[in-house]
Amino acid sequence: MRKFTKSLVLFLISCLGFLIQTFGQTTVNGSVTDPSGNPVEGANVFLVGTYDGASTAADGSFSFESEETGVQTLSISYIGFETLEYAAEITAMNGLTLKLREDLNALETVVLSAGTFEAGDNSKVSVLKPLDVVTTASALGDFVGALQTLPGTTTVSEDGRLFVRGGDAGETQIFIDGIRVFTPYTPTTNNIPSRGRYSPFLFDGITFSTGGYSAEFGQGLSSVLLLNTIDEPVQNKTDIAIMTVGGSLGHTKLWDKSSVSFNASYINLAPYLVVYPDRNDWDEPFETFAGEAVYRHKIGDGLLKVYTAFDSSNFSLTQEDINLEEGLFFRLKNRNWYTNSSYYKRFDNGWKLDLGGSFTVANTDVTIIDNNIDNTEYSVHAKAKVRKRFNSRFKLAFGAEQFWTDFDESFNNPDFNADYGFNNNISAAFAESDIIFSKKFAVKLGVRGEYTQANDRFSIAPRVSSAYKTGKHSQLSLAYGNFYQQVGNDFLKFSPGLDPQMTQHYILNYQFSHEGKIFRAELYRKDYNDLVTFDTEMASFESQFGNAGDGYAQGFDLFWRDNTSIKNLDYWVSYSYLDTERQYQNFPTAATPNFANTHNLSVVTKLWVDKLKSQLGWSYQYGSGRTYTDLNRPGFLQEKTKDFHSLSFNWAYLIDQQKILYFSVNNMLGFRNVNGYQYANTPNANGQFDRRALRPAADQFFFVGFFWTISDDGTDNQLDNL
Amino acid sequence: MQTLVFTFALMISVAFGVTAQTPYQKGMQKALTTWGEDKPMEASNIFERIANVETDQWLPAYYVALINTIESYEEMDLDKRTAMLNKAQEYLNLAKGVSPSNPELLVVEAQWYISWVAFDGEKYGMQYAPKVAAIYQKAAKIDPENPRVAMGKLEWDMGSASFFGQDPAEFCEDLQKAILLYDNFQASEEFYPQHGKGYGLKVIDRTCNN
Repeated sequence: MRKFTKSLVLFLISCLGFLIQTFGQTTVNGSVTDPSGNPVEGANVFLVGTYDGASTAADGSFSFESEETGVQTLSISYIGFETLEYAAEITAMNGLTLKLREDLNALETVVLSAGTFEAGDNSKVSVLKPLDVVTTASALGDFVGALQTLPGTTTVSEDGRLFVRGGDAGETQIFIDGIRVFTPYTPTTNNIPSRGRYSPFLFDGITFSTGGYSAEFGQGLSSVLLLNTIDEPVQNKTDIAIMTVGGSLGHTKLWDKSSVSFNASYINLAPYLVVYPDRNDWDEPFETFAGEAVYRHKIGDGLLKVYTAFDSSNFSLTQEDINLEEGLFFRLKNRNWYTNSSYYKRFDNGWKLDLGGSFTVANTDVTIIDNNIDNTEYSVHAKAKVRKRFNSRFKLAFGAEQFWTDFDESFNNPDFNADYGFNNNISAAFAESDIIFSKKFAVKLGVRGEYTQANDRFSIAPRVSSAYKTGKHSQLSLAYGNFYQQVGNDFLKFSPGLDPQMTQHYILNYQFSHEGKIFRAELYRKDYNDLVTFDTEMASFESQFGNAGDGYAQGFDLFWRDNTSIKNLDYWVSYSYLDTERQYQNFPTAATPNFANTHNLSVVTKLWVDKLKSQLGWSYQYGSGRTYTDLNRPGFLQEKTKDFHSLSFNWAYLIDQQKILYFSVNNMLGFRNVNGYQYANTPNANGQFDRRALRPAADQFFFVGFFWTISDDGTDNQLDNL
Repeated sequence: MQTLVFTFALMISVAFGVTAQTPYQKGMQKALTTWGEDKPMEASNIFERIANVETDQWLPAYYVALINTIESYEEMDLDKRTAMLNKAQEYLNLAKGVSPSNPELLVVEAQWYISWVAFDGEKYGMQYAPKVAAIYQKAAKIDPENPRVAMGKLEWDMGSASFFGQDPAEFCEDLQKAILLYDNFQASEEFYPQHGKGYGLKVIDRTCNN
């Protein structure tokens, strides 16, 4: 019994020893500072995988007890700093001094932004909000129209496309979800502005870069416009629009992992032209039918998007022409089909994969007097991109892409027939890295290689940009890059072996952004080389083509936006100064082309009036005169038209949460703008060439629309469709 | 001798008795107490530590998301507010991974968007308003009896309606009904959210009793 008692006691003592061992406490203590050594209050300090931890006090100190033993990992995290992990024997974790590193993903980090304007909710350098694209008075619901109020663009009102920093419209390349759009604009004829083909409400992010852009994008000499479709629509809804120029119907349906949106619209200008006839003699007024659909499907961590759009337009008219007494007859029929698929997947270890492709079939039949020109373009773009984020200081992206274009055209008139065309295949690969040295200084290095099959030419384009933070809210950026672009279809079809054209961009940018105020100033220089040249009045089979052209563009852009100083008022002002000359196409001498002018100014204001439940918008655009050739005087492109002015107004009235009435008028003051002059081919009796002013088809344009949304919860509306 | 044995036995049972409350319960208790003492960020840190260990529990991550969302309303510095809301989003995603289609998480998600709308209505209002409405819609479909869902949805609808000139007092009857849900609500697990009644009463008082 005694022996038993003894062993029981021993057993219990050993148990107790075990208990003491288990409940043995080690104190972990120390203090936490920021990179400059100031104490950090409220940081979370704990042993990974345990409950043991504490928050730091005002002096940065912490202290807690733990029953853990052996090597442990201490984690220190605080908002705005990189989480720090420290592994050591727990008994050695006392009197620690821990210094946190800045989290370079945080908002205050410098942004590589030279040349880039972004519109989007996630963008750090957002200049336009997605809604602006559709509520800018002069834009008429066209996303291109809204971008024309940004600096760096030139007012070429009769064209409607984007002209950037002395470049022609073909020098801007448009991408949807990173995939090229081959035919972004609706087809049109002289003096009738074209519009972006795709409706703005399918996009929630827009990046407009006027130079120095990423190595990921090629085949654009001047500019790229990146449009991202919405990843995840919010709810089931039906949108109905009734407008003075037509109507549209849209529907979005959501399932658990997928969703589909479609939109169909029909536009016919006939009724409008009956009420407000314009300067053209319309035989068949402009009529277009368009349908678009987006399907999105989530696959695990990935997202598949399929976007498809079809549209068909036709019109015919007779336009005044100084050389043709009966006028110039023009008929156009266009059918365009575009499909774009993209797939995105994120892997656990920081790798991301983007795959995408697009397919375009565009068919255009044009009749000019008695000449028939029919063409068909098939284009394909396939692209793969891989991104890896090594840490918040180093990121890498690389990828490859391929473009195929097959273009065929036939020309017929009573005396002549011809069939011709070309294949344009381009292969490209790119690599780019972001190196973020500190919150203040970052560099982006990129290189892009392109191979053009038709002329067996390989080009290498380096791109560099860097940014330095000069103050809490301001930064300075520098960018340099080489850009190559194949010559446009209009010339390639006659001479498929032409070399790509080239520019070099040099950009210096200053940006200040604070509490709803943004100021940007950008100084740039662009050098053009290898521009297309030919030796006849019109490009044709008879022309001798070459790549002997060159030119330059230089100037500065200013942008100011403020939406906080005056309640309910949001406004921005853009000014661009441009000095450019080029000798290309059939120019006899270097000259400023007629799509470039020296001064451009835009002022856009938006005022929300609570009492009226209305948003009122004004937009004023000014462009100094554009060049034209006066045949009665010596010289080439030696004269300038008078200045361009336009003041537009819009009024969006929210009848209730789901119904909006919208009214807009362009050029409300009725400025009589002149876009250029057409001269007679032969001199009159006095030996003078007669001329005719090229005026817009109509000085003013009115628009009234009613937009109605029917959704599950009854609160959605189409304000962002306007 | 027997006394000695008894004492030891007692000590052991006491030692184990204390640990009968699991570390999870102890931790959650401490975090909620800390929050009750008006130390929200310290409480959030404790919840964060628990969430990092108890990866199959949605509640710790839920509270991290909730506290950071609620506290963001007071933060007027854009950078700090963004950082807090990013943290809330991170933990909301963690919680959703454990408990998908949870009405309490949907309520926090709605409040997360409302924080942006409240911060800059002009910038985020049009963009996020439909999202908030859709989230409440979804939550109400899953659990129409949840008082936080009902009150949150009513408050949001009331705000939208009054923007369009409707009298918010029209919502009083519904508000009075919704507040009763707090008394009948049966929490399905320990530490399940309980808050909101006091605030709901204030909303009613402000809207209906003037």
